[in-house]
Amino acid sequence: MSAWMGTILRVDLVAKTIKKEPLNSKDAHDYVGARGLGTKYFCDEVDPMVDPLSPGNKLIFMTGPLTGTAAGCAGRYEVVAKAPLTGTIGAANSGGHFGPELKFAGYDGIIIENASKTPVYLYINDDTVELRDASGLWGKTVYETTDALQEELGNFKVSCIGPTGENLCLYAGVMNEKHRAAGRGGLGAVMGSKKLKAIAVRGTGSVTVARPKQFMDAVVDARAKLKAHPVTGTGLGALGTEVLVNIVNESGALPLRNWRDGSVFDQADKTSGETLAKTYLVKNKGCFGCPIACGRVTNVPDGPFKSFGEGPEYEAGWSYGADCGVTDLAAIVRANHLCNEYGMDPITLGSTIACAMELSDMGALPESDVGFKLRFGDAQAIVDLTEAVGKNEGFGKELAKGSYRLAEKYGHPELSMSVKKQEMPAYDGRAVQGMALEYATSNRGGCHVRGYLTSPEILGVPLKTDPLVTEGKAALLKLFQDLTAFVDASGTCLFTTFGIGLPEIAAEYREAVGSDESDEEILLKGERIWNLEKRFNIAAGVEKDTLPPRLLREKLPSGPAKGKVAELYTMLEEYYTLRGWDTEGVPTPDKLTQLGI
Amino acid sequence: MKVRFFATYRDITHASELEMPAPESVRGLLLLLAERYGPDFRNQVLSPDQTALGRNAIVLVDGRHIAHLSGIDTPLTDSDTVAIFPLIAGG
Repeated sequence: MSAWMGTILRVDLVAKTIKKEPLNSKDAHDYVGARGLGTKYFCDEVDPMVDPLSPGNKLIFMTGPLTGTAAGCAGRYEVVAKAPLTGTIGAANSGGHFGPELKFAGYDGIIIENASKTPVYLYINDDTVELRDASGLWGKTVYETTDALQEELGNFKVSCIGPTGENLCLYAGVMNEKHRAAGRGGLGAVMGSKKLKAIAVRGTGSVTVARPKQFMDAVVDARAKLKAHPVTGTGLGALGTEVLVNIVNESGALPLRNWRDGSVFDQADKTSGETLAKTYLVKNKGCFGCPIACGRVTNVPDGPFKSFGEGPEYEAGWSYGADCGVTDLAAIVRANHLCNEYGMDPITLGSTIACAMELSDMGALPESDVGFKLRFGDAQAIVDLTEAVGKNEGFGKELAKGSYRLAEKYGHPELSMSVKKQEMPAYDGRAVQGMALEYATSNRGGCHVRGYLTSPEILGVPLKTDPLVTEGKAALLKLFQDLTAFVDASGTCLFTTFGIGLPEIAAEYREAVGSDESDEEILLKGERIWNLEKRFNIAAGVEKDTLPPRLLREKLPSGPAKGKVAELYTMLEEYYTLRGWDTEGVPTPDKLTQLGI
Repeated sequence: MKVRFFATYRDITHASELEMPAPESVRGLLLLLAERYGPDFRNQVLSPDQTALGRNAIVLVDGRHIAHLSGIDTPLTDSDTVAIFPLIAGG
């Protein structure tokens, strides 16, 4: 099978067995790879009602057909499990070099079964695959674990969990190469529940494509377009994703203080990509085969928030910044670095602290529970509370459950700015109507990268649509969701879609795997993935598609979207119709049959 | 009126914000600014024939993209705030 290595590792953490089994080629064809193929394996093997933190949940690492090839930004791999934060299908992807290295070792994916009684790590050195004792690594941070394994093993690529994964923090991530994260949904907690501390991989092989000349022609074309585009050629590399702070704020869509005080922040520029570039940015950094290099190496050289690491990305900068009412960029950088060190999702954690700040502000959260009076705008608090979650200490134990469970405990679940218990990122759906629909329908709960309508609604990439209207958004979102599912499944970074689109990525895919399918047939695979995820969620009893009441009822007080609420139900029925689902949002038997599910 | 510059435009203008009397329209504003900041700025914010917005520019008037107003002919008043960005993305 061209573009594939042809082998899946199946690891049983009770029997301590490692089997090498052939890749299911039909499923690889139908579900592309990575997010799609990992989800297909998962759905075939796991009861949707499984407790996410029980041994019955499986944890799957899956690459895509383009992962490790010369295609632009093809360094992605996906981690799939039932997500403990949401109870939905959990699929989170990450860049860096881990995914390509796994393929170079000869494996397309890894299926982890059951749970070990003692800490272990998986050692993969080409043909040699072993479960090894990780007692000495347990309790170590992501940085310490990575350094320790590389010191012992040499130039291996490491994907691991930090202490928060061990402590079953519901938004612990799976981290590779210290700073790259399969971040959302708590898949690191699934790994921790299995006592699997890390996977260390080294490979000396390479990926063979079906039609090398045609493939390289497609790659050269795609890379030339990425280089020529102002976003992927220069903009993202120069200013990173944090450059969005000002334009989202100027558009009246930057949620302020737990989305309570509207979405215009007069101090936003203090936390912007422009300010980051002038202050703490050391250099930009790219993942495997990436000509964009949006990563930020950052250093706070001195002061109370002295820190060195990577990031923040835009969403983390917002969750700790505007969402908490904080303007101290050094504190935001430090808090983000701590999230990488301890291995947790900064979108959920920053948003959970913001929720706690509102609970405190309204008197629902006693000062004695936190240990100090928690107020919006407290820069020291975001760092201290991040550290508390990382160390599983004090009030950090409550924050480790995410905003929904926190707000519910203190009697105000409506103050959790989450969908399906996962916190929404940094675009107010009242000011960006398509994003409201996107959050509500995302198969993994509140998320921006399942159908990123901010791109057309705010940025005008690849076309400009009005963020304040609902007309046409359902159709556009379906297209974006299906396309994103395919791009994720291919092993390519979603950011390529700012500069290229389906024709270019589908061409790379076709020549890599040796397919003559049309663009439309390839896009249909994205729709198949979306419907498979949705079917799993229905079977898992996940709640209906909706939004926090604040977005549906509280009008924005100022800015260009003044007076607006999220008009979700104006769009939702049309969306279900376009998807071929019933009025409750359930895929119909006819639709599933049509897609071959 | 207020004019705000963002991202790489700040490298050209060496300013993040300025105040000035409002020209008649966005087109008039961009031509004035192009005269002040030179060809680098002009080539990005205006099309080669100076009749349309440049491919690498986003212009908001009071937070609304001019594509949803009257385009480059969007009228301006002294109470308006114009924000000028290069084409950017992220997420």
